[in-house]
Amino acid sequence: MSRITGAIREMQTIEESASRDQWVNRIHPLVKFCLTILYLICVISCGRYDLPRVLGLALYPFLMFELSGLPFGEALYRLRIVLPLVCIVGIFNPLLDRRPGAEILGFTLTMGLLSMLTLMIKGILTVLSSYLLVASTPVDDLCAAMRMIHIPRMIVVEFLLIWRYISLFMSEAEKTEEAYLLRAPGQKGIAMKNWGPLLGSMLLRSMDRASEVYEAMCLRGFTGDFPAGRIRKAGRRDLVFFVSFAAGILLLRIFPVLVLVGSLFAG
Amino acid sequence: MSHIHIEVKDLTFAYEKDRKILDGVTFTAREQDAIGIIGANGAGKSTLLKILVGLLLSFEGTVRVEEIPLEKRTLPRIREKIGYVFQDADSQLFSTSVYEDIAFGPRNYGLPEEEVDRRVRLALKKVSLEGFGKKPIHRLSGGEKKLVSIAAILSMTPDILLMDEPSAALDPRNRRNLIRVLNEFDHLKILTSHDLDFIWDTCSRVILLGEGRILYDGNPEGILRDKKTLEESGLELPLSLTPREERTPSGGQ
Ligand SMILES: Nc1ncnc2c1ncn2[C@@H]1O[C@H](COP(=O)(O)OP(=O)(O)OP(=O)(O)O)[C@@H](O)[C@H]1O
Ligand SMILES: [Mg+2]
Repeated sequence: MSRITGAIREMQTIEESASRDQWVNRIHPLVKFCLTILYLICVISCGRYDLPRVLGLALYPFLMFELSGLPFGEALYRLRIVLPLVCIVGIFNPLLDRRPGAEILGFTLTMGLLSMLTLMIKGILTVLSSYLLVASTPVDDLCAAMRMIHIPRMIVVEFLLIWRYISLFMSEAEKTEEAYLLRAPGQKGIAMKNWGPLLGSMLLRSMDRASEVYEAMCLRGFTGDFPAGRIRKAGRRDLVFFVSFAAGILLLRIFPVLVLVGSLFAG
Repeated sequence: MSHIHIEVKDLTFAYEKDRKILDGVTFTAREQDAIGIIGANGAGKSTLLKILVGLLLSFEGTVRVEEIPLEKRTLPRIREKIGYVFQDADSQLFSTSVYEDIAFGPRNYGLPEEEVDRRVRLALKKVSLEGFGKKPIHRLSGGEKKLVSIAAILSMTPDILLMDEPSAALDPRNRRNLIRVLNEFDHLKILTSHDLDFIWDTCSRVILLGEGRILYDGNPEGILRDKKTLEESGLELPLSLTPREERTPSGGQ
């Protein structure tokens, strides 16, 4: 299977897992959306040397993986392209900042190393929590939820179209690659000199198709609004879920739970 | 006299300057009509349908749908009445699962979820795809996609049905099925096809397009038995109307 085909299958399996019938999937999309936003704010707002707090916040995605039954390994595999990029961000910090920072188990971590680790883990956590959201909530529901809290229609439609455009672009890429390779037997990949024209035609074709899809949506009464009717009203269970998780996330953000637990054991 | 549903007058259209795809096309379609539009590849059949649903607005001449002139302002009202099935099913289906896609239209019209569910089931039943609701779209075969795209339009219960090559990609059983669905739909329908046998089985009126003009507009017998005119337009007699001794792969030379 070619790499592009693989990438498409992955997008599709994300959408499929989002439409599974599992209890986390059935939680009200607005609840999951708001929790994710709250979580992202909490993670991003942690100080750049605040490793213990960031580590504490890692509890949330791990708990969510456990509850939703989404395989963690599969998530890492699907995010294998994004995660290294996220990790690169702070890679030079250890070289730039050699002041001694924290001491752990007798080792001294420099401030640079500390900030690198913090940045990396922050990045990983934001990616994982976003993945959890899209893998447990169908896109249309997510859009309807965004509209419920009056996020501007333009932004929501844009989000939806980009989501669809990515899949269209990849399926155009797949067709182009297949068509090319069938007529270039013996060649291992697409030759460098052909990349330009191929990429150009792929972009054009996927744009054409994206506009056709958009037309098809309009023909079926799409006006940029996501009828909230499709989403049931939030119930007691959603409320309990929201309150307990929001409280948990805030606790982890306010108290460096790991340090507290550690000092308990240290006596 | 039956109610006039679509009125097209002096319709002229070009994608690029000085290459007219449609040139002074005029016809009226009535409530009970079942019109088959035929013509060679590139004759402008798809273009004509796209104009009728308002996907191409830069035309000259007038188009009226149920007395409403077709223009940007009136699009929402007109589109509520017309269901349009794309030639390429892939362009039309965009949801994750079959159910979601068929439910998209009814939901946009603000119907309650029970009604949406009822319509989706009914539409799936009409195209004999019961039990396909949960299937992901990308796992469907080409013909199944076509049937789903038809179901997605049927679920919106349009007043007027436009279908671009509905029978392409269907196996004989599903083709028969579609003929039944079309014959059960008793409002105006306009379809294009190269499958003249299909036209013969579903249409009460045929319009032949060629060089941007209407070369024939009348009952199917008048044209589908006219070997000469058909061949001049790059078409062949329907198989079911071809004398047996002439049925050779080359069309009987
Ligand atoms: N987007 C476009 N831009 C420019 N020219 C176009 C475009 N779409 C179609 N055409 C041209 O318009 C002409 C009519 O196309 P159309 O798709 O209406 O033909 P058709 O009768 O549906 O043919 P087919 O039987 O192959 O489906 C063709 O010559 C085609 O090249
Ligand atoms: Mg066509």
